[in-house]
Amino acid sequence: MRVPLSWLREYVDFDLSVDELVEAISLHSQEVDGVHRLGVLDGEVVVGEVVEFGQHPNADRLFVAKVDLGGREVQIVAGAPNPYPGARVPVVLPGSVMDDGTKLKKAKLRGLESNGMMMSERELGVSNDHGGILLLDESHEVGCPVLDYFPVGETVLELDVNPNRPDLWGMIGIARELAAILRTDFRIPEPSFETGGAPTDEYGLRVEAEDLCSRYDLRRVSNVVPGKRAPLAMRRRIFSAGMRSINAVVDATNYVMLETGQPIHAFDAEKVRGGIVVRRGRPDERITLLDGSTRDLSPEMLVISDEERGLVIAGVMGAEDAEVGEETTDVLIEVANFEGRNILKTSQKLGLRTDASGRYERGLDPNMVDYAMRRVTELLTRNPGGEAAAGTLSHYPEPVRSWEVPMRIERAELLLGVPVEEDEAAERLESLGCEVSVEGGRLSAIVPTFRRDLWREVDLIEEVGRLNGLDRVPEELPKTSLPGGLTSAQQKVRAVRRLLADIGLAEAVTYPFGPDRWLKDLGLDDGHEPPRLANPLSAQAREMRSTLLPSLLDAAARNEAFGVEGGAIFEVGRVFEASPPPEGLREAAIHFRFTGEMDRLGPEVEPNAASLMGVEEISRVGGVLAGTIRAAAWNAPERRAGFFEAKGIVERLIPGASFAPGVKPFLHPGRSAVVYVGDAVAGWVGELDPDVAEKFDLSSSPTAFELDLAFCEPDTAPRFEPFTNVPAVSRDLAVVVDNAVPAGDMLATVRALGSPVLVGARVFDVYEGSQVPEGKKSVALRFALRGEETLTDEVVNAELGRIAERLREAFGAEVRSG
Amino acid sequence: MYDPSQMARFAREAARLADASKFAEQARRAAEAAKHLDASKFAEQARRAAEAAKHLDVSKFAERARRAAEAAKHLDASKFAEQARRAAEAASRVDREQVVAEASRFTEQAQAAIRAAKNLAELERLRIEYLGRSSQLTEVKKLVRELPVEARPEVGGVANRASRDLEDAIKVRAEELAFIEREARLRAEAVDVTLPGVPYPKGSLHPSMRVVDEVVDFFVGLGYRVAEGPEVETDYYNFTALNIPPGHPARTMQDTFFLDEGLVLRTHTSPVQIRTMLSQEPPVYVVCPGRTYRRDSDPTHTPMFNQIEGLAVDRGITLSHLKGTLAAMARHVFGEDVKVRLRPSYFQFTEPSVELDVSCFVCGGSDPKCKVCKGAGWLEMLGAGMVDPAVLEEVGYDPEEYTGFAFGMGPDRMAMAKYGVADLRLFFEGDLRFLRQF
Ligand SMILES: [Zn+2]
Repeated sequence: MRVPLSWLREYVDFDLSVDELVEAISLHSQEVDGVHRLGVLDGEVVVGEVVEFGQHPNADRLFVAKVDLGGREVQIVAGAPNPYPGARVPVVLPGSVMDDGTKLKKAKLRGLESNGMMMSERELGVSNDHGGILLLDESHEVGCPVLDYFPVGETVLELDVNPNRPDLWGMIGIARELAAILRTDFRIPEPSFETGGAPTDEYGLRVEAEDLCSRYDLRRVSNVVPGKRAPLAMRRRIFSAGMRSINAVVDATNYVMLETGQPIHAFDAEKVRGGIVVRRGRPDERITLLDGSTRDLSPEMLVISDEERGLVIAGVMGAEDAEVGEETTDVLIEVANFEGRNILKTSQKLGLRTDASGRYERGLDPNMVDYAMRRVTELLTRNPGGEAAAGTLSHYPEPVRSWEVPMRIERAELLLGVPVEEDEAAERLESLGCEVSVEGGRLSAIVPTFRRDLWREVDLIEEVGRLNGLDRVPEELPKTSLPGGLTSAQQKVRAVRRLLADIGLAEAVTYPFGPDRWLKDLGLDDGHEPPRLANPLSAQAREMRSTLLPSLLDAAARNEAFGVEGGAIFEVGRVFEASPPPEGLREAAIHFRFTGEMDRLGPEVEPNAASLMGVEEISRVGGVLAGTIRAAAWNAPERRAGFFEAKGIVERLIPGASFAPGVKPFLHPGRSAVVYVGDAVAGWVGELDPDVAEKFDLSSSPTAFELDLAFCEPDTAPRFEPFTNVPAVSRDLAVVVDNAVPAGDMLATVRALGSPVLVGARVFDVYEGSQVPEGKKSVALRFALRGEETLTDEVVNAELGRIAERLREAFGAEVRSG
Repeated sequence: MYDPSQMARFAREAARLADASKFAEQARRAAEAAKHLDASKFAEQARRAAEAAKHLDVSKFAERARRAAEAAKHLDASKFAEQARRAAEAASRVDREQVVAEASRFTEQAQAAIRAAKNLAELERLRIEYLGRSSQLTEVKKLVRELPVEARPEVGGVANRASRDLEDAIKVRAEELAFIEREARLRAEAVDVTLPGVPYPKGSLHPSMRVVDEVVDFFVGLGYRVAEGPEVETDYYNFTALNIPPGHPARTMQDTFFLDEGLVLRTHTSPVQIRTMLSQEPPVYVVCPGRTYRRDSDPTHTPMFNQIEGLAVDRGITLSHLKGTLAAMARHVFGEDVKVRLRPSYFQFTEPSVELDVSCFVCGGSDPKCKVCKGAGWLEMLGAGMVDPAVLEEVGYDPEEYTGFAFGMGPDRMAMAKYGVADLRLFFEGDLRFLRQF
């Protein structure tokens, strides 16, 4: 809502700077989104009369004028050709400051001195019209300040009105609010007009859809002077409030809407056939609106029609058929109340939001209709001029009356955390229009019907709290002592993230939805139906991910495209799997989703909310390592992404994991593994299949991993293992085995021997090449042996012999000598 | 070869330290006897004797000299005798003062040499020369035993003092040289300290998650627990239970992603509060961080964003508790000096509703050109309010008995303010140029 301050001052007096006003409103009522300035901010604008006007001698597009400013004649260079000798124009004098902050100076334009500027409507903040100089009529006296007729500059506050306050969509409501904040009075113009025009009831009024229209009032204004514009001051206000001036009749209706918040529609009475019918749209009914668009109507939409055709989509926009135009001389004024949610639905369906629909959709007060009708009638009879009918037609079968809401002071103090004075609270509510009685710590407020948001005690408490000032609320902490903290699962997530960041990965947060091609590109599309968004922003963001991988691959591709050498990223996030409700329970599931109730499952079914959700969410941790994951330094070689880099990370996340060659369709078949914890599959690790890498626009195959968070044990609770102070003996054993023998199996076999003195075994070298036969490899193992006492060579050699023998049995390993 | 001058020097030296007169007498007798001896033999023996005398006492020498002299009787003894006589004469002239003076001259020279030693190796060579087994001083010390009892203390004292002085000098010089050599070695070992250290890996945590962690840690410290819920949520939990029934205008304000019938991507983490309240009795103190979704995409809105909501329901909870708690949280995240203020607002599930502004942690409101607050001095931080009684009733709590406050904030926006990021979209693109800065 745009609030021109000069307009606001018509209803309420205040002596605040703009900053102070903004603060008062934003700390006690609504957020102020912005402050706009129009016209001349500071300086002098006077009415001048053009004495001479002609072409600038040195410039084709410039003109020069001699202007009488009331006994003083000045030369002014102008850019517009429309002034003429005798025309009255607004002249801004040098030294004045314009809305963009520039200061007007005496200037020489192409050799001629210019002592001021004749102003266009836009320059004065009257409209957006910059086509020529604004020409003033004879009522503006030469030499008088323009300010005597209308403000030459305007400050406009942009209020972000909360949806529960439709009363603030009009200047009067804002004036009332400001008066309440400032503890001052405000005034509302009391309309007065003569009647005696053609009677309204020559037309009929029939409201068929009463459920969507609680009130419909109609008044006729006849003998309207055709083709007039609204007075300058009114046009100026309409413009500064953010609307466009149309003609005298429409401007009057818009002016009253801006003033009261009540939308008003005017029909050209001569085009209305028979009378007004308020009804639902008919199937196959179409209507061509003022904006030129043709719309299909439906029974969900409310239509204002005559006996023959639809004239207006109620509360949204009128059709061309019965609109007020240049020739209109007889007007029917509609002031009505429509059901807000229906207007909202219609406006959404049409994709059409107007000043009227935006007000209706929040739910307006039907009792506002009276005042708005009188006010608009008054303005119309003044300009363009016409004769108001004495009577109105009104359909208002169930008048809304005020209601009473009690408020306990004690309760207010409990919720607000500050002492609340009875009298002050009463005064606050009165300033909002309530009638308040006080009795023994209890207030009772009769709430005006324009405050439909005040119907409970807590609503009144909020009003008292904010008007008293939230700055009064002290800062205190609740006196709790509860055992808070992270669950062990939450701590684990922290530990996983911290560990991965510590070993060099960057944490990413990516969108969980992506294009349909994701699953196809990963080779996961056979029979897999992921949850899908019904209304994605684009087809590129439709499918919920069932693996973290594609989001991370897209990120890796992005990094490659932007020339990042490589790197490792990880994400802890959820993946989504469709999990349709059990057979026959879809109805019950949908009922649950809308009501939270599981009462339609049938007696034999165990209530289980999870099974009715339809989507299963699994927390995962995934990572992608691409290219150079650590750059070379002068003292360290570079480290590139590879299977064992990724595997090493997995081994840190799940210290007890075991690995077996994997069969994920998107991974390199020879460089990938399934990660097991015991017999359970915890995830996978591997190098991306080169074809898949290509599909994701990656020039080389990154390695990746993805694990169920539930299996991760990045920080297992340690158990102390006693040790002796006898130094361990280190012995190496190199054996030659077939290429295909998994080194991991060899280690497992050695460990399975259960040697009492073997305390460590690891592979420290693997060699294939000219030193070993074709198809063989040499695996060098290093063992640490330790006993209760220093081990003799005999014991050590015997143990090593036993190991070698076992390896020979199991894998045909031959000890490599030398 | 027989070398009389050597012989004489030896005799002189011996005499200098021994009783010179006694020596002279012995020498005279030896010379007398030598007239009758075989000179060549004698010479040989004298040489050997001289050699041996280094280790022997003077009497033994005298005896040998006598025997040598006897053997030398067939030689040209007169010449030798003459020499011996002259030596004896010279020896007889040597007195004790001279011994001391020479000792001190010797010590001084030695000390000078020690001080001039250029390295530890040279110093070791000097030590052997002056204090070693075959040094003069060692010889002298051996000879002391042969001296008359009354002469021993003085001569011994002189020798010991000289020995001690030299040892001290060597020790001092050794320390000096050790220090110099250590300095030189360390100088040689110097590295370019401006070269980077060994690159231990450094990753990063997402800026939004850093803020989430900070906020969560704060509330955990106050005794809150962390509650989580599904991202795919039901219509009921996301809207209806929060006082937003079907058809309510607030539903359309939150551009919602829909899935299967009755399912949405949660538009806020508020449903977690509902689920929490439905699952337990008051008191409730929880924070609910998580991802939320709205169908919106421009430089300041992304279809996914993070949210942290919180809820405290207990007996006697007031707006002042909300203000105090959130003020403390703001100070935890943005610094001790920030101030907060409340402004009235509107949310469907709180009443009264407020917004909390935090004073600009960069300029404190003093810079009209401040990039963070844009000159306003305040930053909109979060929405909050007292839990609407209708919501409490919906979850089966008695609003007359319990009150509560709830709040919701955007850690992405907080991170933008805190770290000075202008474009929200950067947060969710996985761009390492962005991520690595945190
Ligand atoms: Zn600032």
